[in-house]
Amino acid sequence: MKQLTIISGKGGTGKTTVASNFIKLARDHVAVDCDVDAANLHILLDPDIKKKEEFIGGAVAGVTGECINCGKCEEACRFGAISDSETDIKIDTLKCEGCGVCEYICPVDAIELKTEGQGYCYISESKFCTLVHARLNPGAENSGMLVAKVRNDAEDIANKYNKKVLIIDGAPGIGCPVIASLNGVDYTLIVTEPTISGISDFVKAFELTKFFDIKTFVCINKYDLNLDNTDKISNFCDKNKIELIGKVPYDDKVPAYLSNKKFVIDDSESKAGKEIIAMWEAFSGYLYSS
Amino acid sequence: MELDLEWEQEVGSKLIVSIASGKGGTGKTTIAVNLALSVGYCQFMDYDVEAPNASFFLKPDIKHVKKVTIKHPYFLKETGADFSKCAEFCHYNSVVAVGSEVVFFPELCHGCGGCLLVGPERAVREKDITIGEIKKGSAKPMIDFFMGNLKPGYMRTISIQSELDKSLERSELVLIDCPPGNSCPMVFAVKDSDYCILVTEPTPYGLNDLLISIEVLKNMNIPYGVIINRDGIGNDEVEKHCIRNNIKILLKIPNDRGIAESYSRGETLIEYDESWKTKFKGMISEIEGVVKR
Amino acid sequence: MRVAISSSGTSLDSNVDPRFGRCPYYIIYDTKTDSSEHIENESRQAMGGAGIQASQFLANKKVEAVIAGNIGPNAYRVLSAASIKIYSGVTGTVKDAIEKLKKDELKETLAPNVQSHFGTGPGMGTGGRQ
Repeated sequence: MKQLTIISGKGGTGKTTVASNFIKLARDHVAVDCDVDAANLHILLDPDIKKKEEFIGGAVAGVTGECINCGKCEEACRFGAISDSETDIKIDTLKCEGCGVCEYICPVDAIELKTEGQGYCYISESKFCTLVHARLNPGAENSGMLVAKVRNDAEDIANKYNKKVLIIDGAPGIGCPVIASLNGVDYTLIVTEPTISGISDFVKAFELTKFFDIKTFVCINKYDLNLDNTDKISNFCDKNKIELIGKVPYDDKVPAYLSNKKFVIDDSESKAGKEIIAMWEAFSGYLYSS
Repeated sequence: MELDLEWEQEVGSKLIVSIASGKGGTGKTTIAVNLALSVGYCQFMDYDVEAPNASFFLKPDIKHVKKVTIKHPYFLKETGADFSKCAEFCHYNSVVAVGSEVVFFPELCHGCGGCLLVGPERAVREKDITIGEIKKGSAKPMIDFFMGNLKPGYMRTISIQSELDKSLERSELVLIDCPPGNSCPMVFAVKDSDYCILVTEPTPYGLNDLLISIEVLKNMNIPYGVIINRDGIGNDEVEKHCIRNNIKILLKIPNDRGIAESYSRGETLIEYDESWKTKFKGMISEIEGVVKR
Repeated sequence: MRVAISSSGTSLDSNVDPRFGRCPYYIIYDTKTDSSEHIENESRQAMGGAGIQASQFLANKKVEAVIAGNIGPNAYRVLSAASIKIYSGVTGTVKDAIEKLKKDELKETLAPNVQSHFGTGPGMGTGGRQ
């Protein structure tokens, strides 16, 4: 079984467009939406939810006993999560990292680490394949734990039903959720755009994939928006031995297709569609070979 | 010497306005940057510490760089001490004690200091590890600029943002460019704001993520308004939702290839077309009015 | 000798699971008594370092060798520190793997599948609050 994760560094470059069209073209596969903070694949693929499971996240400290206002916990907390401990103790769950130091150091056992529901994990059936996705509760921690769970569930299904390929729509950015999207995959496709911001985030994303030793491919979306920047990206790929596998032209109709839950590859007139098909054909070689 | 001021300083504009978006790539930074340049005199803070992009457009002159560090333990194995308590305590699997060996995984360590606390006395020490940095500077015309940068691979977004918090001052207009999404980093970035501008795109994806952002802001009692960027690329669901629910649409920016090309070159909207300046300044006045009520 | 085999299921006919740290079960096989039992892998949803936690768990269970598909560099470090023999890159059913082990057909893995990046810079945790 081979796994391909599609990431972008910067948001809005077309990661989900590429991922969804690949999902339509592939066979013997499972689709995974690791963008648990802003999951979009399920909107386009419109699947039937078969299983829903609550996701219990990492622990957070809370005052559960009688605080004697000694101030020891506030002094020991390295994350600034505890305040006013000598008057009216407050624990800021945004800053709390669940390390357990305050729980350990409290002389009267007034602090406890507790886990909480942070979102939901779904297994659904779409027209093309099983889709594993999740939704984080608004304001929840996005540590990558939920992404790891989504990956586990998807791999279990692929193993059970002898699926050959996992297509993973990765999380944006370069933080924990992206790392969890990349952990242990065979190939990664970075979808970038020829803009100053896009290039900067692309380089950061590549730093990440380099450390995982994952074979990295690049696709430049809307490449004709700025040919100078496209050349810059191309040169960077050459220098760093990254395969530039596709250059998709700017096509105003693409967002409209997405909005209408259509696939750009179904438009025989679309150059963008043709390029995505060509990219998939190149990937199939890697994904379906033994 | 009298300064020749072209712009009008907003008197009494001691306001913190955040610019956020559930969905990535909708144009948060574009809006934040153009607001800053239109008003001219403000504090600008880029809280997207994983992928900060505002500096490409504001081109600040950086005056201070401060390293952000955490403390990692190191184990004096030669003492022959037993480190199993450290391994048992660690919530992140960064310390393992097997047989007489102790194995440490720095990439998983959060620097909580637990090892020092529970471990054998004098056999555990700590050292500073750099996880990122804060940069401070100024950008034309009169923008106090702040940004943070997290080193790729370290899971410490909140720590870097916490450092930025220390520079936050309600002495003038503060604009906060938030990270995308609706989870912790976004919540942390908006938590002190008086108003939040939600930037979205007119598609089912934009709408889906907008609804979640609205939920977050409602829970935090932060008033908000919406900017629809790349208007025309999708459908009118976002607009209809806003109208039905009395959500203020602050601005609509049309989908325009010229704007996209200009953006790709690192140009701002107001450099491309100066008439946007009035619209952005008007938006700040409008927001001021809402907050004062 | 007690051997832990990463498994997709609870029986000897289950496949050797390619993921050492995140497999659903381990089959613990005792070469002396030719008996086996399955245990759930409690580390699989771990907040980062599943392989590390699984290795510690198996070391505590006095396992002397592990058989799996892919064993990452972090798990490798822990297993080596615990002097546990490592057989990675193994496919097929658990039963097949045990047979191969008995016939001495399995080759010990002397280096991790993927290079470790310890000390070279950015890390690879898959969890932890930010």
